Amino acid sequence: MMTSPPPSAAPLMIEARAVHKWYPNGFHALRGCDLRVARGEVVVIMGPSGSGKSTFLRTFNALEDFQQGSIVIDGIPLCDDLRQIDAIRREVGMVFQQFNLFPHLTVLQNLTLAPVLVRRRPRDEVEAQARRLLERVGIAEQADKFPGQLSGGQQQRVAIARSLCMEPRILLFDEPTSALDPEMVREVLDVMQTLARDGMTMVVVTHEVGFARQVAHRVVLMADGEVVEEAPPQQFFTAPAQDRSRRFLEQIL
Amino acid sequence: MEVSPSPSDSDLARTRPQPSWWSSMLSPLQSLSTNRRALPWLVQGGVGLLLLLMIAFLLANLVRNLSATGLLLTWRWLGQPAGFDVSESLLPFSPDLPYWRALLVGLVNTLRAVIVGLIGSTLLGTLVGMASFSSNALLRRLVRLYVEINRNIPLLLQLVFWYFVVFLALPNGSAALQLPGVVLAKSGLYLAGAAAHGWQLPTLVNGVWQAPLRLSVEFAALLTGLIVHISAFIAEVVRGGIASVPRGQWEAASSLGLHWWATLRRIILPQALRVIVPGLNSQYINLAKGTSLAVAVGYTDLYSVAETTLNQTGRAIEVYLILLSAYLIIDLGISAVMNGLNRLVQLRER
Amino acid sequence: MAGLLRRLRRDYFANPLDAALSITLGLLLTAALLAGLRWALSQAQWAVIQVNATLFAVGRYPLEQQWRLWLVTALLAAASGSSWGLLRALPRRDRRREAQLWPGNDRIAVAGFAALALVLPALLGLSLPLQLRWWLISALLLAARWVCGRWGQGRRGRQALRLLPLAWPCLYLFGLGLIAGGLGLIAVPPNEWGGLLLTLVQASLAILLCFPLGVLLALGRRSTLPLLRWSSVLYIEFIRGAPLITLLFLGQNILGFLLPGGVAPERVWRAALVLTLFAAAYLAEAVRAGLAAVPRGQLEAARSLGLSTAQALARVVLPQAIRTAVPAMVGQFISLLQDTTLLSLIGLLELLGSARTVMANPAFLGRNAEVYLTLAVLFWCCCAALGLGSRALERRLNPNTTA
Repeated sequence: MMTSPPPSAAPLMIEARAVHKWYPNGFHALRGCDLRVARGEVVVIMGPSGSGKSTFLRTFNALEDFQQGSIVIDGIPLCDDLRQIDAIRREVGMVFQQFNLFPHLTVLQNLTLAPVLVRRRPRDEVEAQARRLLERVGIAEQADKFPGQLSGGQQQRVAIARSLCMEPRILLFDEPTSALDPEMVREVLDVMQTLARDGMTMVVVTHEVGFARQVAHRVVLMADGEVVEEAPPQQFFTAPAQDRSRRFLEQIL
Repeated sequence: MEVSPSPSDSDLARTRPQPSWWSSMLSPLQSLSTNRRALPWLVQGGVGLLLLLMIAFLLANLVRNLSATGLLLTWRWLGQPAGFDVSESLLPFSPDLPYWRALLVGLVNTLRAVIVGLIGSTLLGTLVGMASFSSNALLRRLVRLYVEINRNIPLLLQLVFWYFVVFLALPNGSAALQLPGVVLAKSGLYLAGAAAHGWQLPTLVNGVWQAPLRLSVEFAALLTGLIVHISAFIAEVVRGGIASVPRGQWEAASSLGLHWWATLRRIILPQALRVIVPGLNSQYINLAKGTSLAVAVGYTDLYSVAETTLNQTGRAIEVYLILLSAYLIIDLGISAVMNGLNRLVQLRER
Repeated sequence: MAGLLRRLRRDYFANPLDAALSITLGLLLTAALLAGLRWALSQAQWAVIQVNATLFAVGRYPLEQQWRLWLVTALLAAASGSSWGLLRALPRRDRRREAQLWPGNDRIAVAGFAALALVLPALLGLSLPLQLRWWLISALLLAARWVCGRWGQGRRGRQALRLLPLAWPCLYLFGLGLIAGGLGLIAVPPNEWGGLLLTLVQASLAILLCFPLGVLLALGRRSTLPLLRWSSVLYIEFIRGAPLITLLFLGQNILGFLLPGGVAPERVWRAALVLTLFAAAYLAEAVRAGLAAVPRGQLEAARSLGLSTAQALARVVLPQAIRTAVPAMVGQFISLLQDTTLLSLIGLLELLGSARTVMANPAFLGRNAEVYLTLAVLFWCCCAALGLGSRALERRLNPNTTA
């Protein structure tokens, strides 16, 4: 079952226009990419490896910079001002392929670190919220364990809860299930599906076609640093418009 | 989970500071300090300024104090007669020779110690390192003990121990310790060697030992202490290198019927060298620096001569520059050789 | 019994060569041990140690003021015992069952410590008042351990544990103040400190003060900004290339020229400064290795959560880097403790220097072996203890082991 489409008058959360990125060695990683994501939308970005999809995703929270074009996140333009970058990072959460949990802190401390330090909220309040979030993702009993003692799927769910603890308005996912054993992929995708159903704006880079079909509002195909095609999943997976898309689908389906 | 819009601190970016004269002065600086591209330059500028101020302050004091005591930088004093003698040297030396000659003698003495020390400690260290893989548990335990003792007792203490307790306690003359080819006496170490008429053993002539090769007790004590101390560390480096070779190599060799020693020599050691050579570099530099402790056993190395020179002439800055450059060059030399070796050892794998 | 024989056979007599080796080495070792014992018990004259024990311990510290040193030692013993007890009483949060208050290796440690405390003063031939004080202080340490073990469980203990990182520096400063004097107490100038006291003060000062500088240098070394990187590299390579004795020598002679008015601080402080600058360079290398071991994703994750670079470094990167670097850092500290012996070459009377002045005394001429052996054993014990402590610390800090 697909998630319900967002209201058409929803404000734009991400507006990327003609984004170009060159690496210092001259490699042209992003060639004029555009993307618009409305509030409540779930956008899945797919593509062959080296297509620049992760790079594009990481420009949205300034982990990668870009030389040309413009990106506006929730009305704040991405520029060189560190204060604006910090403001954007407070609103944009990111879930990494390698989880990147802080191994020297317990699961609970992983969640409470940022809200206490960055949003200056009182510790007790944040801890209560953290425990609630851990329950929602299904690992409340692991709160006092260290990340190294959890399985991959559990770690990624903690990572999702950690991002949620900052109450972001957008969540970015960079191949969240690629580093997981197959039997743990389901539990993470289920959490992501719940989030989508609750109206979170999500941009997901992934290879999981099932997820894209069921949850995404839009699928974006990237190849060689360019956006090749954008379409609702129904249309994209059955009748893609571009040749390049067809070739890609042949490889993965 | 509800996604409620949080209070808009994205408005933060849109507010403007209240204009007033000092904030309008500071605001370009402020906006620069939050600019991702400008910030690195600002930080570097700040740190650079701080460093420059510090160095300028120290230099100014230095020049002022030096000129007050009449000790401004000059090298002319190097030509003046030294006025002290050195306890031993390969080059001929006497107190009427100039300071630069004395320093040269010291440098040669240091190099003597470094070269012999390097060879000796490498040999001993490699043997001990390999012995830690022996099948005999007693030998392994002894090796561990050897390493632990050397690591936990300061080098200086070991040096004075060897000198005062062992070497100075040696008997002299006919009561000296006589081993095949080597005589250990309080007057020195006498070694058999090639002489004018063939191979000559140490011989006692009128109560005084004579031999083709004689090491002073000070030099012997310094060498022994250094070699024993550094060989323990080298043994650890060798052990780590051998341990880094995957277990499968041993198994493959034994399934081919190779004896333990042959396996080690022909299969394991060449691979272990890749890890060992970089580790040896730092130990060799430690050895070179350790020779500076020779002053404690009365061996006149470069540091010892430099100390005497400074005490006599008061030329602290110049002496220090000479000392530092000499040791730096020795270190660079060792590193250069080891880096060359490193490349040799790595290339073989390609 | 059969298992023991089998193990012996495998370990020591696996093949003819091994058997021969075991027998020869065994015989040599026994002979050496017996000769050593015979020397130690009959020929050696240990009076040199007994008579000069105070000199070795505290140098020429005024006799009437030595009660302050005893006070410092007592405070240190109490603090160590309390810390030990608290750490044992509180399990790490991730372990469900209660911590064992007296686990196996703790009992061995306590037994060993008690045995040492009972036997050592008699061995050293210390006078009765000294023996009594020694026993009292050891008893204080064990009592503190026991009390904090019982009292420290639960929330009170946890609060106390949090105060611990604050308590130790205060205690250290207080101890230094007691030793040096000033406000109300008679000042004892540093040139009267000597022996083990001076060794420990120099080593501890250098270890503590080199930390901030070392971490800064490590961060600078890994920085992408060229100025920071090159100045860090220059400093580190300069210090690491020079023998410590030349740097100490430099400090003693040139520091006066570098300060306005040509006035140099006390020789003890000059040496402490050089040791600090020296240790910082080596510590920087250890921390740098630790920093390199932290995956880049950690910093990215922290930044994407909204933490500033400073917060990310302080809360996420550095804690992990330092945990990884603990073995290397403790190795540096052990080396530093050993390097304090070089102070004897520039005229400071720490442990080795005091030993040499003792042996210059005609009454004790030629007693080199006894004195140097004692010093060797002392250093060995201290450094080995530090090594053990580091391993315990590693186990406690590593979240992946249950300690």
